[in-house]
Amino acid sequence: MGKYLLKRLLHGLFSVICVVLIVMVLIYSLLDRGKIFSGDPNFNHTASNNRITYQQSRWEAFGYLDYVPYVDYVNRLAADGQIDEATRAEAVKIGKTADKDTELTAQYVAQFTQEYQAKGYQVVRLDADTKKNGQVRDGGQQALFATRDIPLYQRAITYFTKMFFIDNIHYVPESADIGERGIQFTLYDPVHNPEGAGKKVFSPAIIGNGTLHKYLLYFDGRFPFIHQNILTLHLGESYTVNRGVDVFTTMTETQGSYVLDTITFPTGVTADRADDLHSATYVQGSRDAIASNQQWFTDDYTNVLTNKAGMSKLGYSFVIGIISTIAAYVIGLPVGLAMALRKDKLLDKLGTIYIMFIIAVPSLAYIFLFKALGGKAGLPTLFDMDSTGKLMYVLPIVSLALPSIANLMKWMRRYMIDQMNSDYVKFARSGGLSEGEIFSKHIWKNALIPIVHGIPGSIIFAMTGAIITERVYVVPGAGNLLTQAINRYDNGVIVGVTLFYAVLSVVSLILGDLLMATVDPRISFSTKER
Amino acid sequence: MNEKMDLSALGLSDEELFSHVDHSQTESEKITAPRYSYWKSVFRVFFRNKVNIIILSLLIFMILFAYIYPAMTHYDPFANLRDANAKHLSPAAAMEYFGPDLKWILGAGASGEPTFDAIWNGSRISISLALLCGAINMTIGVLLGAIWGFSKRVDAIMMEIYNIIGNVPLILIISVMAMLFSPTFWTMVFAMTVVGWLSIAFFIRTQVVIIRDREYNLASRCLGTSTIKIAMKNILPFMTSVIVTMLATEIPSYISYEVFLSYIGMGMSEMSLGKLIYAAESAMVTPGWEIEFWSPVAIASIITVVLYVVGQNLGDASDPRTHME
Repeated sequence: MGKYLLKRLLHGLFSVICVVLIVMVLIYSLLDRGKIFSGDPNFNHTASNNRITYQQSRWEAFGYLDYVPYVDYVNRLAADGQIDEATRAEAVKIGKTADKDTELTAQYVAQFTQEYQAKGYQVVRLDADTKKNGQVRDGGQQALFATRDIPLYQRAITYFTKMFFIDNIHYVPESADIGERGIQFTLYDPVHNPEGAGKKVFSPAIIGNGTLHKYLLYFDGRFPFIHQNILTLHLGESYTVNRGVDVFTTMTETQGSYVLDTITFPTGVTADRADDLHSATYVQGSRDAIASNQQWFTDDYTNVLTNKAGMSKLGYSFVIGIISTIAAYVIGLPVGLAMALRKDKLLDKLGTIYIMFIIAVPSLAYIFLFKALGGKAGLPTLFDMDSTGKLMYVLPIVSLALPSIANLMKWMRRYMIDQMNSDYVKFARSGGLSEGEIFSKHIWKNALIPIVHGIPGSIIFAMTGAIITERVYVVPGAGNLLTQAINRYDNGVIVGVTLFYAVLSVVSLILGDLLMATVDPRISFSTKER
Repeated sequence: MNEKMDLSALGLSDEELFSHVDHSQTESEKITAPRYSYWKSVFRVFFRNKVNIIILSLLIFMILFAYIYPAMTHYDPFANLRDANAKHLSPAAAMEYFGPDLKWILGAGASGEPTFDAIWNGSRISISLALLCGAINMTIGVLLGAIWGFSKRVDAIMMEIYNIIGNVPLILIISVMAMLFSPTFWTMVFAMTVVGWLSIAFFIRTQVVIIRDREYNLASRCLGTSTIKIAMKNILPFMTSVIVTMLATEIPSYISYEVFLSYIGMGMSEMSLGKLIYAAESAMVTPGWEIEFWSPVAIASIITVVLYVVGQNLGDASDPRTHME
């Protein structure tokens, strides 16, 4: 069994990697990368050479290529101490054309060109774009840069190696003076026991210094009460949908209006703010840079998330999804069963019409129909994160449950009828068993086996959300993340979300098989026992 | 010939009265059952149900109407664009403003276009898309699915491909295609068929695997029948009803999927039914304009339901077990 499971997991991992590779080829290689500028107002304000360098810098930001301007190169040489400030200032000034370079500049340009061409970069020099009278046009300043498309294998390797981040005390650069690095275990979490507080609150926590997150493990009042920051997932950084934030964080962070609370900062100052001190991460030099940080924090762990009233995208999708899934099983299975038992009677006919309606009619049509009907009945048709009412959940749940109910009814009826016509049932009947006995001891159990296979999948996929339902009722869920990312060319999010879906589908298939094997003793995955 | 006849009265000899009949090998092989023709029986069972006749005529009428009506009326969506009074008219107001005509029966839309014409023009595009995608996907799917089911080596490779491609979101593939080429009708056909056949092929593969190793096929193989003949004569007839039933769910599903894609802003540039619904979404919440939204929704639903019902009942009729009577 264990061996089989391992094989399945490895196989699933392989599929997931292939999916990510295919998606990377699709979005980075096949698509016209010029499209990202179609909705970009800044692009139209640039002209001539500036437009070309602007394009390069944006493409780098979207992850298409690696772009190194000559200026950055010279500045880096200066920062590394290889050249002094006077040389740097001289070397940066490239001439309007190559032959107008000073001797020193030409030397560094040659060095730059040689170094980057050796690395496989394409070095581009744009001469100044001048008018007839010799004046430089708007944006026509000369430019020199090296550029290289990131090859697929490199992109994939970087992606997968950066996916899991294990926090360690060497995260903060060695040059930074942060005192003694180390990990410290405390029974009295400083967030719950601020400076000067009288009574001590018992709350264990692991605190790091030199790590990215200050709090590596801690307890608080929010579900699931124990939180860790040791291992963080990076599925892909967003660029347009939720700038600079990882996909996984985008899906799991709370939304809505801020929850203000009186909090005591490490310096002992109290303020009414929504900051979550447990989420503090290190940003070098941030304490000195901002006045309020000096007032509140004692170190550079100043970057905190905020507490918001609403749930996360996954949270909303999951609440709506799981309730509709449960409703679908609770309603769909008994109705499908009743249809099979009263085949060709009124209930069966009505059920068949309902199934036909749901399968044939475009989902958009009946979702809008229910929205209109629900609106007439006085139910809220738009989702509002700040409202505490539960009624706004009703219509999205109903819209999601309708197709699942039809689907379960259809399959339950089919499996039941197949079982009722099978030979073993005829044999049992001829053996004198009562219909009730045949039903409860034989048919029911056998018909349920294929249904059981789908249960883990429908629970897991409840959290990915539904595109149309969430759009129609304006639910702030996870369902629209992929379409949003596609519409806004957010490559990082597309890859991240696809990977997330692929992992969920692999896991739910394996869980389905395992569940089926536990329900049905005839199914065994280990070859030895046969 | 109930009356008894006295043969001796005729005065004929036995040789003249009786002739010897040879035992014929070919005649004895013939079965004296009524002639059975598969397709004739399919249609006999199908048309026995009067509801089917009505729905089939409705389907034929709708398809013909969707193709003939737009061709005859030369629909121009921007004809009344400059006429500010012609926009968002209710059927009664449109009739009054333009004079009574069939095309104003559903009122006028956002740019003064007759909603009725717009819908049938959109239906023509949507039906064409569905029929084309259905034909391409079913042909490729059934052929490859049969090979997939028969060959164990192909099965191993195809299962891997299926597991991988199945996890790539379909909207991503379609939008990449739409961005790669322009979002035209043919791009949409290509995008829907490039991986669309895979699920059909998988379904057919499963069916073939179930039937492939049954005893009668084993016997056929032992008697030296070639694989192609087994596929054509033993397995294909068994699957006709499955294929027809599948077609019944596939074709309407393309119309629905096109509506879905247009709604999330990834549809094609042509004014299909989905695009009409998408464009009229804002009209739904405006009192008095609802008809602009609900009429394409209603027509799309009617087309899909009719297609589905005809296909399902044809699928039932093509199951030989329903032919016994």
